[in-house]
Formats: sequence, C-alpha cells, structure tokens
Amino acid sequence: MSAAGLQQLQEMLKIRRFEEQCIALARADKLPGHYHVYIGQEATAVAACAALAPEDFIFSTWRNHGHLLARGASPVKMLAEILGRSGGYASGKSGTLHLSAGELGVPSTSALVGGSLPLATGAALACKRSGKGIAVAFFGDAALEEGAFYESMIIAQVWQVPILFICENNSIPPKERKRGQYTSSTLPAERLGDVPQALQVPSEAVDGTDVAAMNECFARLTAEVRGGGGPRFVEVCCSRWPGNIMTWPELPGGEWQIDWAFGGKPDHEGMATWLESDPLQRYLKKLVAAGTLDRAQVEAMDAAVLKEIAGAAKLALESPFPPASDAYRHVFAAQEARL
Amino acid sequence: MKITFAEGLAKAVYESLAADPRVVLIGSSFMGLNMTARKLMEPAVRDYSDRMLVTPVSELALAGAGIGAAMCGQRPVVDLGTGSFIYQAFAQVANEAANIHYMSGGQSSAPVTFYCLAGMRGMGAAQHSQRTQAMLGQVPGLQVLTPGGADDAYQLLKWCLLKSQNPTVFICHSLLFTETSEIAADEPMLPVGQARIRRQGTDLSIIASSITVPRAMAAAEILDKKHGVAAEVVDLRSIVPLDRETILKSVAKTGRVVIADECHKSFGVAAEIAATIAEEGFSYLTAPLIRVVVADVPIPFSQPLEEELTVSPDKIVAAALKVLGN
Amino acid sequence: MTDLISFYEQLWQIRLFEGHVQRLAASGEVPGFPHLSTGQEAVAVGVCANLSDGDTLFSGHRAHGHTLAMGSDPYATFCEVIGRQDGQCQGRGGSMHLVDVSTGMLGATGVVAGNISLAAGAAWAAQVKNEMSGAGKIAVVFFGDGATGSGLFHETLNLAGLWKLPLLFVCENNGMAEFTGREEHSDVAKVSAFAAPYGIPAETIDGNDVLKVDAAAQAAIAAMRKGAGPYLLECMTYRMAGHYVGDAQHYRSKEEMAKMKEKDPIERLRLHLLGKGRTAEELDAIALKAKTAMTAAVERARKSPLPDPATVMDYVYSADFPGRQENAQWN
Repeated sequence: MSAAGLQQLQEMLKIRRFEEQCIALARADKLPGHYHVYIGQEATAVAACAALAPEDFIFSTWRNHGHLLARGASPVKMLAEILGRSGGYASGKSGTLHLSAGELGVPSTSALVGGSLPLATGAALACKRSGKGIAVAFFGDAALEEGAFYESMIIAQVWQVPILFICENNSIPPKERKRGQYTSSTLPAERLGDVPQALQVPSEAVDGTDVAAMNECFARLTAEVRGGGGPRFVEVCCSRWPGNIMTWPELPGGEWQIDWAFGGKPDHEGMATWLESDPLQRYLKKLVAAGTLDRAQVEAMDAAVLKEIAGAAKLALESPFPPASDAYRHVFAAQEARL
Repeated sequence: MKITFAEGLAKAVYESLAADPRVVLIGSSFMGLNMTARKLMEPAVRDYSDRMLVTPVSELALAGAGIGAAMCGQRPVVDLGTGSFIYQAFAQVANEAANIHYMSGGQSSAPVTFYCLAGMRGMGAAQHSQRTQAMLGQVPGLQVLTPGGADDAYQLLKWCLLKSQNPTVFICHSLLFTETSEIAADEPMLPVGQARIRRQGTDLSIIASSITVPRAMAAAEILDKKHGVAAEVVDLRSIVPLDRETILKSVAKTGRVVIADECHKSFGVAAEIAATIAEEGFSYLTAPLIRVVVADVPIPFSQPLEEELTVSPDKIVAAALKVLGN
Repeated sequence: MTDLISFYEQLWQIRLFEGHVQRLAASGEVPGFPHLSTGQEAVAVGVCANLSDGDTLFSGHRAHGHTLAMGSDPYATFCEVIGRQDGQCQGRGGSMHLVDVSTGMLGATGVVAGNISLAAGAAWAAQVKNEMSGAGKIAVVFFGDGATGSGLFHETLNLAGLWKLPLLFVCENNGMAEFTGREEHSDVAKVSAFAAPYGIPAETIDGNDVLKVDAAAQAAIAAMRKGAGPYLLECMTYRMAGHYVGDAQHYRSKEEMAKMKEKDPIERLRLHLLGKGRTAEELDAIALKAKTAMTAAVERARKSPLPDPATVMDYVYSADFPGRQENAQWN
C-alpha cells in the first residue's frame, strides 16, 4: 500500500502543479484560447488509470490534462501542445481541446459535449473484436443531456462491449448556482445512474474525494468489464473546485499550499471550506496520519514535482511554433489510391 | 463478366469480409427498400453474420462507434440507410471523423466508411430524397465517393473497405441498382481521385456523377443520333477527391460544358466545378457553361412536382443545345 | 366523452382507408412506400377522443390513423397520400408528411423520432399560453418503439421532465422497428421504463382495447391540463400489415399472423358492444356507412387533379421572404 499510495499522491500532486502552471501561463498571455483545468478531480484520473493496462483506450473531454498525465503522458509534450507549439503531441494542431497521445491509447479527444461517447463505444467494439483491452470514457454530468450519451449506452449494452463509462459529476448544486458561472447541467434524474440503469447498464456511484474507495471501485469494475461482463457506468461524485466555477479558471487563495494540509488556511473563505473535500489534501492527510510520510517528505516530493513542471514549461515555451505550411498537413492520412 | 450496380455492391462487401477480418458491418441493409437487391446480401449474411451488428435507430452513436472502432484498428462500414439520415449522425461524421487525423497532428486515423443511399429515388418526399454530397464536400478530411456505374460500385466500395485510410462517405443511389458494367477479373482499378471518361467526344463536355451519369449517357446518345453532336461524358466517381485535372482537360478539348448534378443549385457540387473552370479554365471556354441541377426547393412528394425538379436526360440535352447554340 | 358508437365508426374508417391505400399501392397507384396503421387504430382513436381545439399532435411515419382520428377530411387525406392538388399539403408532403393545421395535426415525419422534440416545443408554447390564460392546452406525440433508440427521445424526455411540459408521449409499441424485433436491438422490454429516471410518470396498457386507451388518455390528459406535467403512455399493439406496403413480412411466422386476429381492436369493440345490447345489424350498418363514405372519398380523390408543375417553387419560403423573387428567378 505505502509505495502505491505515495505513487498515487505524487501523481495527483503532479496534476495539480501542472494545472497551476497552465493558469500561470494563461495569466502571462502565453496560453492561447479557452482552457480547462482538472484541479479538485485529480484522484479520479489517478485511481482509474491505475486499473488500466497498456492496451486499453481512454476517451476524455476538453478537461483532459489530468487523464493524460495519469496515463503517463509527457508534461513537455502536453504543455507544448497546449501552447500550440511544434513539439506538442499533435504539433500544435489540437491544443488543449483535443489533446491526444496515440501511443498511450488516447487516439483523439472530442471537445463536443458527449462527443467522445460514441467513439469510446466503437473503441470498445474494436477491443472486443481483437480480444485485447477495454475502453474507458471520461465525461462530465452534462454529457447525460446529450442524445449521444443515451444512444451510446444502448449500443454498448446491446453489443455487450467492454467499456467503462466514468461520469465525473462536478456540477454545482442547483441552489448554489449564479449567473455568469460555467454552466452546470440539470437532469431531472435523482441520481445520474438512474438513466443508464433504466437501459440495463449496471450503474453505481462513488465518492470522488476518496482515493481508496475509487481504487476499489475501478479495480472491480474494470475487472468485470475485462471479463466480458459488458458495459458499466459509474458516477464519480466530485465537489467542484472554486477556481472552476467561473467560465475561466481562477486561483482563489492562490496556488495550493502544503501548509493548508498542516493546519494552515487559505485567505479565501470558499477555498477554506472546499479544502475539506479536496481529494488531494484529504489523501495527503490520510497518508500522513497513517505515518506513511511526514511534512518534510511531502515538501521534497512537491519540490521535485515543481521542478519537473517548471522544466517542462521552459522547454515548451522554447519549442517553436509550427511553420505556416504545417496547416496543410494531416488533412488526410497517406493511403494507396488503388485496390 | 457483366454485373449490375447492386451486384457490385454485394460482391464488394462479401469479398472484403472474406479478405480482411477487421471489416465489420454496423447495420447491413445496403440495398434499402429494394427487396430483390436485398437477396444479393444473403451469402454475406450466411457466411459472416458474426461480423454484422444489429443496430437500434441510433445513427449518431452508430456513426461514432464506427469512427471509434476505426481509430482502434477495425475497418467498419456504417450503414446509415437513407442518405438523409446522415444528418442524424452529422456531429460525429463532420465534427469528429473528419477532424481526427488533423487535430491529432497525424497520430490517429479513422478508416471508417459511412454508406448511404442518397438521392431522389422517386416519391421519397422531402426527408428521403436528400443529396448530401455537397454539404459533406465542405468538410475537409472527409472523402466523398459517388459511384456512377456498376464497375465503380464494386471497385470503390471494396477499396473503401480494404484500403482507404480516411473516413469516407460512400454515396449510392438506389436508382442506379440496375445499371450494368463489364468488369474483368484482374482489371486494375482506376485510382481513387481519377474521373472516368465514360464516353469520348469533341463537341461538348458533360460533367456528371452518381445518378446523372446514366442520364448524361442517355443525353449523349440523343445528341449524337438526333443532333450529330459528339458529347464527352466525364464520370467524376468522387466529389472528394475531385479530379479537376480531368475536368479541365476535357473542357480544353471541347470548349463547352454542361454540368449535370442532382444537388441543389446554390452552393452545390456543380457550383464548385463551375468555379474551378472559371478560375483555371476560363480561356478554354467558347461559351458560358450551364448547370443542370435541382432547384433550391425541398423535394415534393407529388410525381409531377418531383419530375419538374428532376435532372433528366431531356434537360441535359436542352442545356447542351443551348451551350452549342451560342 | 366516451361515445362507443363513434369509436366503432372511427376505427372502421381508419381500417377501410388503410385498406384502400394497401390495395392501390399494390397496383402502383399510391406512390412511394406508405406505412399502414392497420391493427393500431385503437390507439389513435382512444387518445384523440380526448383532445380538443388548441391541442396539437405530432406523429411519425405511420400517421394516417392519427390524421383521420383528429378529424381530417378523408378525401383531402387520400389526395395527399396520392400526391394530388387537393391534399392538405397540395401534394407536397405525401403519406409521411401529412399535416392538417386546422385540426391541430402539426405533422408527421419520415425520420424516426424526428418529431418528438418538435412536440416538446409545441407543449412549451402551450404552457406559455396556459400560464397566461389558464387554457390547459397540451401537445401529444406518437412514436413507435423503434424511436426509443434515438438520442432525441432521451433529450426530449429530459427537457419535458425538467420544464414540466404538458406533453403526452404515446408509444405505439408494436414490437417491431422496421424489420427488427425489439428484443434484438434493446434489452429493455417496456418502453415505459425509460420515463422513470426523468421523473415522468408512465404506464403500459393494452393498446388494442380502445376503451382502455380512452380511459388512460383521459386520466393523463385531465391531470396534464391542470399542470401535472408530462406523461408517457405505452400502448402495446400489433402492426397487422408490414412495415410498409410491399413488405412481405418474411420475418413473421404463420402462428404469429393468426394470433393477430385475436387482438383486432375492431373485433374486440364489436364484441363489447354486442355484450352491451347493441345488435349485429346496428353495428354492421355503422361499418357500411363508414365503407360507403371511405369508398366515395377515395374514388373522388383518384379522379382529382395533379398539382401544376409550374407551382413547384411555391411554399419553399413564406410569402414575406425577402429573397423570394430572386430565388424564383435564379432557379
């Protein structure tokens, strides 16, 4: 447990610091376009990817940095792509919205709400046919409002393909919503899982702030899916990080401080409250309480992560923009023109 | 051997299933409402039913599943049925499939074929008579194939299923099912992206695709026998890639053009060909070109109204005579 | 108002109308591929009996029964089905695109599930008006079990539940989606199960018993007029003809075809009425009346004029479309 636990903590920390780096780059006017950060949801990606094998496929959304990092993507190539540079995974063609890493089983990322669900179902079909691997689809609560979600559930169930649908529900409860915020979905369903359940896809919910619960849940569900049990749906109940409430990411209280896990409090009331649901902080406190690591070790771990991210940012900023002629490349894949 | 268009389709499907285990059929009607033609699919159903997936009425997800499976090593063909239904799947076809190779910077490809029966089939009314090729031609990253003869029905579909590395919309027309061609056993296929000269001529070029190919051929016959006009008929075979070179070569030879296409006049396939000729072949023209196309009207149900709009051999002949009269 | 004699007559009208369509389609006089509601008449009659002026209805591709049950003139309807000028859509729509705004039948569609969201819009418009005037109007949408595979169905259930729309979803579950039996493409046996996650009440009834359909529709609609929100009524029924005319139904067994006769809604109402003291002569007279009326309407329609091709561009846009003249000249 200890080594794996530390590994997971480190991965979560890496995602957190990577995302903070993105915000910093955006503030320095270096990050073009709209972007989304995974702060507050790191545990989900880390726990899920821990249950995956190299031959598995992942489909994510515009909020994909966490999934890619947890899958083992290179921070340099990710940042370069996010900055639109030629050293990025797609040589600047995708940016953050469609970040993909073919060799890691992340072939393409849709930024349409629900857009990846049919693709993921198809990937699962491919897995079934080839006898190797499973597909995992990460998506948010809003995807359940799209017809594509519903149709994907139906065909996944009828074809009994090996797919795990992971819904990260980070919506703001209806009573707390205000104008100008990033839109949150509303479904009349009491529990999101009621919809897939009605379509005969077994569904459950798990606490997105509890790493141990998610480790157990994902290990179990991926095993069932891998064993030919057909599709599964899990709603991960997340608490939306205050910096993700408005349409553009913010850093209420500033970057996350180790001190906040050791008695300190951020100078922002909303953040102070939210930290009780922060999966990273909760896990850290749990490991510290169990004696797995102490504050000095946390600080050392953080320092190493920060150094890696800073290094990645530097290399990404140095990566040149792609030449204009690149715009015409990769419209079509090379192919023979004859039978 | 002589085959019909429908036989060509069935042969392509069967041979592809036999040749490559990655070929999988998501939906497998292919022949639409033509009960006779459906029988041609029986051998495939008999021998490869495990590779034919049953499908609910969920075009969006089925199209997406085809794309996803293609990205992950399969070679699916998604039968969307009546061409109009590609609109149900439009988000996946136009906004996912077409973009995947590009937005991944070349990492991923989606060799999926979307098969549909589009066109004015006769009393299909507004929702079952759509011709979607112009709209799809506007989506970079999609191949749009429009076979106009049995030979291409067979060869192009087989190529899509076995060789294509890019997402393709394969547009068939149910009124072409009885068209016939001679195919030789080992005849090499005309490369994709090359138009086919169906009839050589010196007086006039008729550019056609899909259903307008046999109608242009009928018109050419009338022009020859009744008016002593030697018309050249160019069968595009594909909208994307569009063989501009062959079009311009023909125009250079004849100096006069009629473009016959079943899409609507405004913003249609014929419009793109006309623009190409205006930009690159202006000096070849000895008269203004004429488009014989469908008016900008939803397709009505009643027969005389539909006939009014149909791109018929007679309309092509009339346009040809007008072009030659100038 | 449950007028059983009127029900009996209406069931016969639809049955006979469809019989003419089938007969004339076989000879090619009815063009295209009409879809018959033979055997499913009770759903249309039972539901529509509870609608009134100001309510709206949408249907799918199997819409003849709904159109007639809403009160459309059989002559105009048959004209439309055979593409004549005197059809409600002046020949432009045909069987799958029947519209009769005068009765509130706002449209059939050839796209499976295509009208479900349109009906939600109509229900929302009714809701707005209801809030202002207390009129209590509703919208109804008919669709088959095949339509439940569509994402549009799901999205509309979501919206209807969210906005508490006065929308009655009527699923005519005849167990077939074109040529595929339900069990092949869905793991969910009863469509009414789909409504629950959206908080929409639902029930499944025997759709071939016009009395049951009427009673269920009456209850649901009465509540809806008072603001109860959407309802899903699943009517189990049987498609006695094929998916469309020309469909030889090779996918059905002889036993299956024999069982269908027992479910015949007309036969069942007849037995019920005989049990209530009506005589066979009385009932036969009603059937004959319907037969005479339908035959006359159909014969008249067959002789009616075709539309003038010169009018083909009419109604692409409404009369006030700024580009109307330019459009006509350009084309």
